[in-house]
Amino acid sequence: MVRAFVLLAPGGPAPCRVLYARTFGTPPGAGPGGPRQRLRRKEQLLVVARQVASQCQLLQASLGRPSSPQLPQLPDEPVSLQDAPGGVFQMSPGDPFPERVTVVWLSVLALAFALVCEPQENLSLAEITLRRLAPRLLLSLRLLGPGADVLLRPDAADGLLDRLLPHGQMLFLNERFLQAVDRELGLKVSR
Amino acid sequence: GPEAVDGLQRLHLSVAATKYPRKLDGKFVEQLQTVLCSPKSPEQIQVLCAAILREMSPCNDLVLSCDEIQDTKLLSLVSSVLLAQGSRGEVAAVGQRVVQGLERRLPEGQSARFLLPVLANVISLSPGSLTEEQTNVVSKKLADWLRYASIQQGMAQPSGGFFSSPRTKQPAPITEVDGAVATDFFTVLSVAQHYTQDQWLNVQAFSMLRNWLLCYGGKEQSPMDSSEGNSGTPLVPVPATPGRLLPPRERLRDKAFAYCQRLVEQSTRRPLKKEDGDLQKACLIEAVTIMDIICKQDSSYVCRAVSCLKILHSRICGDATYARALLPIAQLFLNHSKQAAVDSDAIYKHLFSDIPALLFHNPSLAFEFVQFCKDNSQLFTDSSSIFRQSFPNLFKFLAWNSPALISEFVDLLPFLLDPGTATEIFHLLLDLPCLTAALDIQLRAAALPVSEKAGADPAGKPATCLEAFHHPLYRSMFQYLLRSRAAPEDAPDSLVPLRQLLGSLAGSPRVVQCAETVPVLLELFFRVVAEFADGSLINQLVVLLLQRSDQLYDIPAFKEDVVLGSNLAMLCGLRPALVVELSTEILEFSGAVSNIQSKEAIFTHMAWAVGEFLSVSHDKRCTVEQITRFFETLEAVLFEITQLRPQASTPSCAPRAISVLMATLTKLAARSQDLIPRVSMFLSKMRTFVQSPAVTSVYCEEDLEEILIRATELMNLLKMPSVAQFVFTPPVASTRFQKEVNDSLPLALRMVTQLLEPAAGSMPV
Repeated sequence: MVRAFVLLAPGGPAPCRVLYARTFGTPPGAGPGGPRQRLRRKEQLLVVARQVASQCQLLQASLGRPSSPQLPQLPDEPVSLQDAPGGVFQMSPGDPFPERVTVVWLSVLALAFALVCEPQENLSLAEITLRRLAPRLLLSLRLLGPGADVLLRPDAADGLLDRLLPHGQMLFLNERFLQAVDRELGLKVSR
Repeated sequence: GPEAVDGLQRLHLSVAATKYPRKLDGKFVEQLQTVLCSPKSPEQIQVLCAAILREMSPCNDLVLSCDEIQDTKLLSLVSSVLLAQGSRGEVAAVGQRVVQGLERRLPEGQSARFLLPVLANVISLSPGSLTEEQTNVVSKKLADWLRYASIQQGMAQPSGGFFSSPRTKQPAPITEVDGAVATDFFTVLSVAQHYTQDQWLNVQAFSMLRNWLLCYGGKEQSPMDSSEGNSGTPLVPVPATPGRLLPPRERLRDKAFAYCQRLVEQSTRRPLKKEDGDLQKACLIEAVTIMDIICKQDSSYVCRAVSCLKILHSRICGDATYARALLPIAQLFLNHSKQAAVDSDAIYKHLFSDIPALLFHNPSLAFEFVQFCKDNSQLFTDSSSIFRQSFPNLFKFLAWNSPALISEFVDLLPFLLDPGTATEIFHLLLDLPCLTAALDIQLRAAALPVSEKAGADPAGKPATCLEAFHHPLYRSMFQYLLRSRAAPEDAPDSLVPLRQLLGSLAGSPRVVQCAETVPVLLELFFRVVAEFADGSLINQLVVLLLQRSDQLYDIPAFKEDVVLGSNLAMLCGLRPALVVELSTEILEFSGAVSNIQSKEAIFTHMAWAVGEFLSVSHDKRCTVEQITRFFETLEAVLFEITQLRPQASTPSCAPRAISVLMATLTKLAARSQDLIPRVSMFLSKMRTFVQSPAVTSVYCEEDLEEILIRATELMNLLKMPSVAQFVFTPPVASTRFQKEVNDSLPLALRMVTQLLEPAAGSMPV
């Protein structure tokens, strides 16, 4: 299962920002209740985001790319995920989640998408899921255009996650099933 | 209307934007919940209300309950809020409601499709939430959905309207990903233009199958089930009588295994759509993993699994795109092949010898491979095994993907170290950035068109690193660095020419990132080795340390960060006798004046170690001649660097080196008192040294002051030879008290000085 999904702006010189984050359920008895639980959740996600940003910047450097890539000129230009850098790393128990987690991430232009997975999760499927979420989020949140649309449209992000990652459950969807999902969502994804 | 949507969106932003609690009016929160559950609310508004409520979790004012909700989509939405509360009771309640929904026939138009992910989330958050009876109900349904989904394509949703054609087309059969008509049951790799509800359930069921089996697939009740305190029915085993269905658990296992076997067959077909190829591989990995779980839960499946996977392995082992699937296959064999009496060595050999060398540059494979090693660390304890002998291959993953894998290697390294591998790994760690550069060249050389691979003129010198790759001068060095297996005897005499050649790549980001991981690993290396190393290994490492100290890859900051000096001191402390045993090597190293400049940290630590440990109390073989020889060597060096008029050729060095040399000479003199006059005279000249104009321009005032104070203290100590002897050669510190005495040496020096010069406190003139 996926514990959380994070959409962030890794920054470069600027500090990284979490643009949207969604956790899938809170493990009972895992810590303090009340507002501290919420605070803890937010801070855990920020730690994940920072680690993703750091790995992203290091990978961009080793690939010889500039750390803050330019946005394309036209917001509707299809974004190629062919060479999108990505990676996977582990976070130890206690730092920041009580148990070990594996983070799978993908970077597209000036944004990064990350899945926080339970250990022993199918990482190949996680990568596929991310590669499907990224262009659809970019499209429906108009993330490439000006304006901080994503912050004001959590319903669009939630709607996508409810189909492609319902309750944190990754789905083995072949291309035809994916087309069916796109039809249900009313999305026109370039193929 | 749209203003409501806008308002809710802004509200969500203001609640989500801060990590500190935002208080929303209790009545308003109640309203949010009412709107969420009201059938009249448009979907977008419901989603936004749920998002706000989740964002605020845990929420005290929650009165939401899923009991009355019939709409499965809404139930899923409300569950997402309830499951975010972190309350075991809420999770259990959601679990009960969902199982109830799955048990009964759903109202018209509702689909169970939206309920299964909720269930998956429930069991992941709180595995004991369901009773035995409930898990049986679900297991039975899962088995049905996996095995009996329709094998005909669904119909397109009718576009509606009065004029739609009354005659519908005959439904077509489902196909495989390569276009062939399917001849067996429906799976996630089945293709159709439109899908039916039960086909969706097939996909959902498989997607959650692994976790379900892990949680509820075992033969016995897991301890967690009974501790939950739910109204669980006591365990009553259901015997399988002939003519009757298997019990639900066994039946699910049977259907699941068949499903996985079918996936294995489907996953090597050539897909019409390229993207389906990625899913095939993910399905394959999942299928093998589930087979492994099933075999653990019921060993009667092992034979079938092993024979199926042997065939699969021979089909995919030559295809690099299937490499990631080799890991779960190997894991299954590791877990069960003994039982199946099958020889799986060929599988492990291929995995460890070939795959890392080919695919080190694939970050996902690299990560999963290292995880595999960590999960099976017991394999590495056998020093002759293929696993342990392949450590050079494993380090390729780290050399190429340093930032992502360094923390994994910190966990893995201790398992690779033993007396047989220690020295080879020591060299490997120091050359790790070199390995990165060599791998880069290997990749680029492989990408060259064949015509260019012919290589340059073997008689001449290669112009570029790429040319050097095949050049006879360098080929064997490259081969050694890029070897797949441990080969201590094959080490070339020196890799110095190769390191120099690769110097042009020393600034590349990947190489620099790798270099940054080496200090951490070296520290760990010495810490682990110190625990098992015997005398001969320690001696070997000290000699290598001294040798390698100037044979490091020329990356800025790499030489400073690699702290060999303190580890040298640590090894000497572990085995003081080595100072006597390795006196030849140490004298040679300490006598070379250039070392004090180019390898200052190591030189200083070495000099300190000589002062500490060259004494009869540490090794009975220590003779007066030896002490004198060391004394004269170090005295010559100190003399050279403290000339009053330094020439251009005089090496400059940190003041600390001067202090340590002075202290060492004093210590040696305390043990062989004939030397005392020589030292005292030398120390008395230090005043002139620190005041000489040529020197004051090189060193700063505080440093010179420190040197002078030290020299004075040491001189004063030598005026009382027996005290000096005691202070500098205490009995070997075997108790904590004695160790503390050693550590308080500077304090002791200061005390003695004050005794001799009561008016100290004013600067000595």
